[in-house]
Amino acid sequence: MSAPSIPNLLSLLGGRGSRGRSRGGSTGTTTNQSSSSSHDATIQGTDTDASISRLSAVDLGYLRDPFASHFVTQRQRSSPTRRLPIINRGTYTRTTGIDFLVSKFLSSTDPTKPRQIISLGAGTDTRSLQLFSSFAHQNISYHEIDFPTMIGKKQFVICTALWTLLSPLNPSSEPNTSSTTYSFTRSPSNTLTLHPLDLRSLTQSLPLPNLSPSHPTLIISECCLCYLPPSTTSQIISSLSTHFPSSGIIIYEPIEPHDAFGKMMVSNLAARGIEMPTLEEYPTQASQEERLRREGGFTQVKSKTIDKVWDDWVSLVEKERVDELEGGLDEVEEWKLLAGHYLIVWGWKGDGLEMRE
Amino acid sequence: MSDLDRAIAQLRACRPIPETEVRELCHKARELLIEEGNVVTVNAPVTICGDIHGQFHDLMELFRVGGDVPDTNYLFMGDFVDRGFYSLESFLLLLCLKVRYPDRMTLIRGNHESRQITTVYGFYDECLRKYGSANVWRYCCDVFDYLALGAIVLGASYTLPASPGRPLATPPGADVEIEVCNADQQIISQFLRKGRGDPPNGSMENGVVQQSNGVSSSTPTNTGPPGSGASGSSGGSLGNPAGAVLCVHGGLSPLIDSIDKIRLLDRKQEVPHEGAMCDLLWSDPDEIDGWGLSPRGAGFLFGADIVKVFNQKNDLSLIARAHQLVMEGFKEMFDATIVTVWSAPNYCYRCGNVAALLELSEDDSGLGVLARSNGDVNRSDGGFPGGGAGPLRGVLTESEVDSKPLLPGPARRYRVFMAAAQDSRGMPAKKPVADYFL
Repeated sequence: MSAPSIPNLLSLLGGRGSRGRSRGGSTGTTTNQSSSSSHDATIQGTDTDASISRLSAVDLGYLRDPFASHFVTQRQRSSPTRRLPIINRGTYTRTTGIDFLVSKFLSSTDPTKPRQIISLGAGTDTRSLQLFSSFAHQNISYHEIDFPTMIGKKQFVICTALWTLLSPLNPSSEPNTSSTTYSFTRSPSNTLTLHPLDLRSLTQSLPLPNLSPSHPTLIISECCLCYLPPSTTSQIISSLSTHFPSSGIIIYEPIEPHDAFGKMMVSNLAARGIEMPTLEEYPTQASQEERLRREGGFTQVKSKTIDKVWDDWVSLVEKERVDELEGGLDEVEEWKLLAGHYLIVWGWKGDGLEMRE
Repeated sequence: MSDLDRAIAQLRACRPIPETEVRELCHKARELLIEEGNVVTVNAPVTICGDIHGQFHDLMELFRVGGDVPDTNYLFMGDFVDRGFYSLESFLLLLCLKVRYPDRMTLIRGNHESRQITTVYGFYDECLRKYGSANVWRYCCDVFDYLALGAIVLGASYTLPASPGRPLATPPGADVEIEVCNADQQIISQFLRKGRGDPPNGSMENGVVQQSNGVSSSTPTNTGPPGSGASGSSGGSLGNPAGAVLCVHGGLSPLIDSIDKIRLLDRKQEVPHEGAMCDLLWSDPDEIDGWGLSPRGAGFLFGADIVKVFNQKNDLSLIARAHQLVMEGFKEMFDATIVTVWSAPNYCYRCGNVAALLELSEDDSGLGVLARSNGDVNRSDGGFPGGGAGPLRGVLTESEVDSKPLLPGPARRYRVFMAAAQDSRGMPAKKPVADYFL
């Protein structure tokens, strides 16, 4: 389809999309400062919409999440927050899929010793809060890395709106050279640490405060690394996996940019000022798996499209429940297309953890 | 009718008409539709279209490619509303054209022409946004209840007339069954009629039509020229009208074994959650044997055997249906006994698909319409109320199928088109519902 024939509606839209895209700019070092920072802003701006998508899924009963509503302001709520069923199912499926793998990681590691989770570009993601506040798991040390503005926002919401939900909450802060790392401890043993940090600096600076190389560590990139240049992402993956010999990784990002749907996706996102350099670099399921083997040295690597995650990991009972929420999903073909263009690829290595299906 | 023409002009410019006019229009439309049977009889020539889904600019493109109303007769197989940003303008324009040219426009009901579905998928919100109240949505839903459930196309030609001013690429006298054209009236590919014994063409099953250069080995059809032993029309000769074509939004129902049974339904209601009426609007063909559960949670999946038996019993040569996104715009299945036509290009401004419409031309052999059973209530053995009430009863057995060959399909011209450039028409672009879950 030629570009001029593409309805350019998306270009008029501000930040839209989904969650977890507050991360380093994708433009890399070759781009000038102003365009790089404006892309950073575009990416951060979409986080608002992300939180609304999440809230839509929560309000309609797809997901249970007492935290989601606190990341959407009153003003944002004045516009309709309900998303279409296909988007709600997508939000549900990828959240469920990643949760499933996180629980595999947790159940395979020793609960009496610290387990670390590092979420790259977490934005308003609430997974940390859910795990942190749950008494089901102990000894979780959860770390979120994001731009200082995003971290500041999250810290503010946690300390104001979520205080009672997360109580007892023992906050502490640790001034760094440029900004402050926030930590929250919830008795007896779970901690949450927010690192205000441009991901691009991860290629150089490890370790981070409160992280130990000897503990089993799970790295999560939920549609985050895809905004960075492949050379940067491979350095990040390689330096993290080297630093944590026993580690797992979960990466969620789009694939298949070259078929008709994929071309339209790239073009629509470009119209919103969003580029995904890794989409070109790792266009297929196989190349995504290879990426984890080669760049991270992960010995066990697996992957599943979101379409397959729905098919394989969501139980029949749960499928029925979810489908009933909005009277069934009519857009079956569109779902297969859309969900077939998103992949969860995961891997693990070292002792003391396993993330088998 | 000047008011109506004025409304048409306004809607063609993608501007909604006032609420009072909508009320009047819907009232007129209902009076018209109430007179139509559940299964409307339509004579060829006719251009058959699939889902529109509020993609107004693409509907204009469809008219540009397929010819304007009333020069071209149209049959729209439902799903006018939801998903796109201009459901209101699209549906009201089609309804105006229906009232203005009742014999040239046929509208049948899709599963989105329903109160429940439109509250989830956008039409309700759009009406509320554009009028400040749900009145217009209510008027439209009342019209939905009166839309026919299906249509029968009669008198479609077995042969394809040459495109005006465009000589066929094949030698004179070649028996073209399928022709695919692009939006600029250029022929992309042609497929000749072939004997029945040939294996079905896989690429056609997938809707991927390749340049055949008139080579018959790639012809994807089960029917053969009359007299070749591959066709059941014993008295057939070139130019004979083909078997009838059933048009329905979704597909078949295990509760419906004859077209007469569709005629007996009480359609003037909201689309039920189950039952024959629901199935007709919700079901999908699939590569299975018999019937299967639908992933949509309504309707059923049905296999090639079901289609062949149904077509045979009802003297149909083809079922045309919509309902499923197909990336190439159309997809013939089951030895060309059923085709999916999809008319919303770049669906939801996201899917990157092309759209298609299906032209059936008029038979001018003068031999008239084939004798059919489907127009006569109680004529067929399985007819109501005598027998075949159970879901799987009343269908022919395999041996009966073999003994009664399938009717030859009409010659089919598909016109494939892409999404219109919205900005080029100076329309205000609205906030899209299309999104990616990133």
